[in-house]
Amino acid sequence: MSNRTVHRRTVLGGAAAVAAGWALTGCGEGGDADGEPPRERKKGQRIQLTFWSWVPGIDKPVDLWNHKNPEVQVKVEKVSAVNGQQYAKMHAAIKARNPPDLGQIEFPVLPGFLLDDGLLDLAPLGAARHRNEFFGWQWQQSVFGKGVYAIPQASGPMGLFLRQDLFDEWDVPAPRTWDEYEAAAKAVRKKGAWIETFAPANGNRFAGLAWQAGAEWYRTHGDTWIVHLDDAPTRRVADYWESLVRQKLVKTIPDRQNAWYKDLQTGAIPAWLGSSWGDALLAGNAPGTKGRWRAAPLPQWKAGGQAFANWGGSTTAVFAASRYPRDALDFAVWLNTDPESIALLIDGGYGFPSAKKGYAATDLDVDKDFFGGQAYSKVFAAAGAHVDTSWRWGPGVDTLYQRLGDAFTDALADGGSLRSVLTKVQAQTVADLRDKGLKAESGG
Amino acid sequence: MSRDTPSRPDPVPRGAARKDTGRRPRRATRTEARNARAAAGFVLPFLALFVLCFLAPLGYALYESLLRTERTGPLGLGGRAHQVFAGLANYAHALADDRFLAGFGRVLLFGAVQVPLMIVLATALALLLESASARGVPFFRSAFFLPYGVPGVIASILWGFLYVPGISPLVKIAESMGWQVDFLSRTAVLWSLANIVTWQFTGYNMLVLIAQLKAVPGELYEAARIDGANAWQVARHIKIPLLRPALVLTGVFSIIGTLQLFAEPMVLRPLASSIDSGFTPNLHAYSEAFVGNNQQVAAAEAVLLALVACAVSFGFLRLAGGRAGERAGERG
Repeated sequence: MSNRTVHRRTVLGGAAAVAAGWALTGCGEGGDADGEPPRERKKGQRIQLTFWSWVPGIDKPVDLWNHKNPEVQVKVEKVSAVNGQQYAKMHAAIKARNPPDLGQIEFPVLPGFLLDDGLLDLAPLGAARHRNEFFGWQWQQSVFGKGVYAIPQASGPMGLFLRQDLFDEWDVPAPRTWDEYEAAAKAVRKKGAWIETFAPANGNRFAGLAWQAGAEWYRTHGDTWIVHLDDAPTRRVADYWESLVRQKLVKTIPDRQNAWYKDLQTGAIPAWLGSSWGDALLAGNAPGTKGRWRAAPLPQWKAGGQAFANWGGSTTAVFAASRYPRDALDFAVWLNTDPESIALLIDGGYGFPSAKKGYAATDLDVDKDFFGGQAYSKVFAAAGAHVDTSWRWGPGVDTLYQRLGDAFTDALADGGSLRSVLTKVQAQTVADLRDKGLKAESGG
Repeated sequence: MSRDTPSRPDPVPRGAARKDTGRRPRRATRTEARNARAAAGFVLPFLALFVLCFLAPLGYALYESLLRTERTGPLGLGGRAHQVFAGLANYAHALADDRFLAGFGRVLLFGAVQVPLMIVLATALALLLESASARGVPFFRSAFFLPYGVPGVIASILWGFLYVPGISPLVKIAESMGWQVDFLSRTAVLWSLANIVTWQFTGYNMLVLIAQLKAVPGELYEAARIDGANAWQVARHIKIPLLRPALVLTGVFSIIGTLQLFAEPMVLRPLASSIDSGFTPNLHAYSEAFVGNNQQVAAAEAVLLALVACAVSFGFLRLAGGRAGERAGERG
């Protein structure tokens, strides 16, 4: 039945992967066994590095690099159009000892790759000397112990996108606090629309909102991971959204899917608590609403507060099995610090640069027209400056999101509380980490 | 190769009529030796593929399922991960997981409803197309079979568009008639998936059944007509009993397919929050392997899934075979 087809394709895909593996190892000169010192390129030797990335428009800066560096050619392979879906393949490739040289890896999932011994520690190659070229807290996201495991590329400070025309028409002011947001949701509901959706399976955004409230999900104590999902700030966020859902002030459909895009296009959903990279998503999927959107700061828990958070952001990492790690590192640094490269990345809508220099040098307002001429990036730049920089990610974030999503969905459907989900998922996460052979405790 | 050799298991199905060919045991001649070599030549490619694509992955999964990863280094990061023997710990872990067990319950319920429905539908289509008065048979045969040519993933995307509220024309039509339908709600989503699977595989099963019908000797129909049987009686008393082997075959295929349900829920999952990460056992194993990166637990789950599929399909075969025996006995 269903899986006869899948089966066949899996087998074929597996065969192709095996063939590709042989081809890749076959064309090398050997010497990439475990435990050998980093490999070097001979002077004048032409090599090709492979780079797995989903970032829209990533080909352009890579083309520029290839043009400038004939000896070190980089080949982009777009494994998936959706971030997150290529991590499975990366993990499999690491296990099969056949990963690419470089990969696009988001901040939250870096520790998961470290557990796999999948990433190369770039510190022995001198990566630390680039430290000051990046924003400190973002650089710190890829530092574990004394190791540097990736070069940061971009972050995603959070804000509120809204349809200014509809908010004006309905006489609803842009909410500045979460109380005002609830009031706005009520007002919008009276007009027959829903202010937003609370997508229960979107762990990323929930983490961002908890981050803003001051949560600290992962901590370390000695060599033990402390998981603290069930803390006061996260409970506050869970209670808040549960109340909105129970009052039927927000939808609960999945976000960033066709039905949601349709709602954005028609104005059935006139707002989105999104992230700086969301500009490209809105402009690309609701082109008919051009000129009507504005960006506003994330609503605050305290009136006049300045607490912001980050959703997304990624790095360029070098895989441990890369045959030419030094060249791979050079490319990763160039990609994320060279002003021309950053300008091209921004055109593609990749978020806010992690490099200090590139940040100032480029005009981030690439699609002002869509936002009615508003210098909307200033909103996100200001948010980025106030992101709580003590937030840390731990291993198994993907599993945590999945458990959170499953349990939130259950709770919303069966009438359980979102708060009780936190207790449950915290215990599950500690168990998951222990099952992975790590020391883990519940935060008290 | 005598059938009288007592030490050999009886190759003739229980209850089936025995035919004595009258051959006696004798020494293998040169022709037979050559035939045996030729047979080996034909069987070898199959065996090679069978070992490479079936036994080897199975063995690897078994091996993986018995291991556990231990990590060293500060916080378990950047150190060395090595694998140690874990006994049945991964199986215990899988069996202690509510979601994994719930997935089994779900696919068994799915199969109990969808498989009979699909087989009945496929049988009806096959009988209609093979009836004497059917017109445009090649066209309809292709039309019914066509969905099978659409890969499961594409079929799911296609149906996804028809299910998602806000986009779906079906939902819109229902709403205009005053019905509130949600194909992706928690209660409905399993049957929305069943619909996709039925749409895809009814034509395939129909074709298997038609092939069996084609093998029915024409004299039987002729005899029935002479006896004054109408079309319904021919279908009821000749075609359906003779379809039994094909029905058993399609039934087993469908049961195995049900347990392996994966592509449809996987594709619909982002659209429907009612499908969780452990919706079916296969999806659960996938999540363990590729989201949680716990290959060993996933391997244990895959082995458990294979065992259940084995038990259920052999159980079905026994049941179907037993009945066939009784029937044959009645007739005899």
